[in-house]
Amino acid sequence: MRKNNTISAVEQSPFPHVVVEDFLDDDTLDLVIDALAGLEYSFSESDLFSYWASVKLTDIDHPALNVLREDLGDRSWRKEVTQAFQVSKLSRIDMAAYVYGQGDFLLPHDDQVEGRIIAYSLHLTPDLEELDGGSLDLFEGRKDGTSKLAKSIIPKFNSLNMFEVSETSWHQVSEILTDIQRLTLTGWYHV
Amino acid sequence: MSEINFYYLEEPTLSNLNRIFVSADIPFVRLSKFLSKEEVNFEMKSQRDEKIGFYKRHVRPSHLGDFWESKDFLSFLESGTGLTLKFRSSQGQTYGPGDYSLLHSEEFERKRLVVVYDFTNNWNIEWGGHDIYTSPEKDPLICNRDAGTLMLTLLDEGDYSCTRYVSLKSDSKVVIDKVIFDLK
Repeated sequence: MRKNNTISAVEQSPFPHVVVEDFLDDDTLDLVIDALAGLEYSFSESDLFSYWASVKLTDIDHPALNVLREDLGDRSWRKEVTQAFQVSKLSRIDMAAYVYGQGDFLLPHDDQVEGRIIAYSLHLTPDLEELDGGSLDLFEGRKDGTSKLAKSIIPKFNSLNMFEVSETSWHQVSEILTDIQRLTLTGWYHV
Repeated sequence: MSEINFYYLEEPTLSNLNRIFVSADIPFVRLSKFLSKEEVNFEMKSQRDEKIGFYKRHVRPSHLGDFWESKDFLSFLESGTGLTLKFRSSQGQTYGPGDYSLLHSEEFERKRLVVVYDFTNNWNIEWGGHDIYTSPEKDPLICNRDAGTLMLTLLDEGDYSCTRYVSLKSDSKVVIDKVIFDLK
């Protein structure tokens, strides 16, 4: 179950984003981490990224994941997200788990695919520090194509990061620099 | 002016190069110790070159200057590839820690011969920074760093190339000249 049912003020710079801390209660959190640990992950690599990804979790029937899907996607939470970001109604979410190990990364991109409104990632690695890498970096893209790192969010355990997907939502996962595993549950709220 | 290793100018070698080049899935050949005399200008200042989501690197005029436009090089190139070519552009590129280019950075490109000469020293393969060439329905071609090596790759419309993300742990930089020739 959700422990935190409210979203504080959405920050607007460099693009609308928010961090919801202590998102799940302890029992749900334990069950979700156990469920994700039992999944198979396959290594995916391209010019843009390097990470281990689970299969899509949207349709998997698993007690803990079913609860999580509800926590992230039930009507009252979608309403909360809609109001916080001042966006149109959100219909559904998709979801997959990703593990970033040493040397893995996701380079700057804007997430724009038709239908995606809000991106989210629930962070499930305890005690991640700046030196480990794996921060969620938000960029301010300039008209000439250059960029400025505007904000670097070091993912806190059990925090839910969300941002509005747009042509300016440039972000990356910085390279993992130590022997850790950065586990996140990531997806999008769709129109 | 830089000079081509005499070995690569001999008729049997050129004939062999031509055979290897055309027989590859993506036409490609890799020539180590390509130059017997390297006249390099490392003094020229580079500038940051970024288009977020496409590339981040430093660029400058090519390190070997006019060599890429010389008759000697063009003659070698045409003999080695069997193509009739026209010089289009040359550029010195440097990829330091955190730099990259992505495969879609060359959208709308027509058929071209990509020439890369490598100045990269003390490279560790784990740092990335290799060149990748892709063509629809063909296996990608991956070219690791190797100082003094010349790489020739023929790309068609819809083919792409990029330089893989360079790890933040790298304590060296990828340094290349990238030269494009159009087909006549």
